[in-house]
Amino acid sequence: MKALGIAATGMLAQQTNVDVISNNIANANTTGFKSSRAAFQDLIYETMTREGALTSEEGTARPTGIDVGLGVQTAGTVRLNTQGGLLATENQFDTAIDGKGYFTVTLPDGSRAYTRDGSFQLSAEGQMVTLQGYEIDPGINVPDNTTNVSISEQGTVTAYIGNDPQPVEIGRLTMATFTNDAGLKPLGNNLLAASTASGEALPANPGDPGVGIIRQGYLENSNVNIIQQITDLISAQRAYEMNSKAIETADQMMSTANQIK
Amino acid sequence: MSDLQLQGDGEPMETSTYVALSQATALRNELDVTTNNIANANTAGFKGERVAFESYLQREGIGTERRETAFLTDSGSYLDTRQGAVSDTGNPLDVALQGEGWFAYRTTDGQTAYGRDGRFNIDQQGNLVTLNGAQVLDVGGAPIALPPDVGAAVSISRDGTISSPANGPMAKLGVVTLPDLQAYERIGGGLLVPPQGVPTQAPIPDTATELVQGAIEGSNVQPVVEMTRLMSIQKAYDRAVQLMSSEDDLRRDMLRRIGRPT
Repeated sequence: MKALGIAATGMLAQQTNVDVISNNIANANTTGFKSSRAAFQDLIYETMTREGALTSEEGTARPTGIDVGLGVQTAGTVRLNTQGGLLATENQFDTAIDGKGYFTVTLPDGSRAYTRDGSFQLSAEGQMVTLQGYEIDPGINVPDNTTNVSISEQGTVTAYIGNDPQPVEIGRLTMATFTNDAGLKPLGNNLLAASTASGEALPANPGDPGVGIIRQGYLENSNVNIIQQITDLISAQRAYEMNSKAIETADQMMSTANQIK
Repeated sequence: MSDLQLQGDGEPMETSTYVALSQATALRNELDVTTNNIANANTAGFKGERVAFESYLQREGIGTERRETAFLTDSGSYLDTRQGAVSDTGNPLDVALQGEGWFAYRTTDGQTAYGRDGRFNIDQQGNLVTLNGAQVLDVGGAPIALPPDVGAAVSISRDGTISSPANGPMAKLGVVTLPDLQAYERIGGGLLVPPQGVPTQAPIPDTATELVQGAIEGSNVQPVVEMTRLMSIQKAYDRAVQLMSSEDDLRRDMLRRIGRPT
């Protein structure tokens, strides 16, 4: 009886589904977070009678075969890369990307990571860093006694230093885009890494055609749709129950068969 | 002599056991198929499978002595092609089909396959691919590749034209109807392939099916139907087993009576 194993794959898939949904709900207020969904596919089919098997010597063939599927598998988790809502924070180093693209961050080991989280801070040396203290790439150094920093939609960072009424350009926020955004590997801490699936980072400037612009004083909220997640959670739980019912039925049928003696 | 003759033409004792057994075996297959439907209740683009039963008639004797015993056999399983519910996901690369059509794919081993799974992705070369990496084919049967800078920022119209504001129309998703659909073989991953060694009619380009961007077609498995099917399978199985048991009791009873002297 294959039903036991088939229903078990169904229960495992729904467990994964609930795990992914829970992570989405847990990150409903995480800056720049993109919600994921578990994507399922049916497993291979066991052909018990082949389609087209001959049924007579005159060449008539079976129009349909008997295919018994062996259950379901999680084919992947797909990140939904839609724009999150923008939240005004008034903080001058908070930046949000309105559109496509990622900020580039230098990790302590020298490798690059990418993020949509633009809640930057200043390090002790005056470098613009993420909340983990990782420098953005290319680095932007804000001079001492800067009174105000302004970041344009195209990413140009200008500083008003001391009493000088003329702003000084101190750097430019650049962006990275990818052919396949969904293929970026999540590292945690709101960071993503390039992978063979995403392709190499394509450097771009904010405001380029097809690339997002920078909004100073805003943060991008997560794009998690809570109502959607809760309804998905309900349907995942019911699907789990249904699979356990199928196991119960298979079990009872085997017990019935055992009673023949 | 005539008594012996009768016994020769008569039905063997175990026939009814075997009739019940044929039903029990077929029901176990149906349980497996139903369980697979339930396991795929949340699989996008999944089409349920149904088992068809037929009787297998065994004829014995001739003329008025003729007997017919009907065994049960599961002759085939077929695809339930009803439309699944279309639900909104907001992902620009999710495309749901509304209608009879099927997407065409080229699998990683070069085979042309068909399916209703519209959860597309763009790989690092810019090809439009499924979750398994199978390339999505356009109306001409060629894999669809998009310029690298376009990414997911595309719009897909109801007739399948993929365009972006900067590049204009770039490709048109191929949608076909499959005349010999029920003969196709399921290979998992939501894919159907033409059966090997059997001539089938070529797929026909389909213009009636509408594409919905930002949505996926859910599984067409109806939970309530599958659950009631589970119940009726179990009840029928119980009855078949019951029949085998009572047949066994009868036989034991008979042997005891025959074996008793006087």
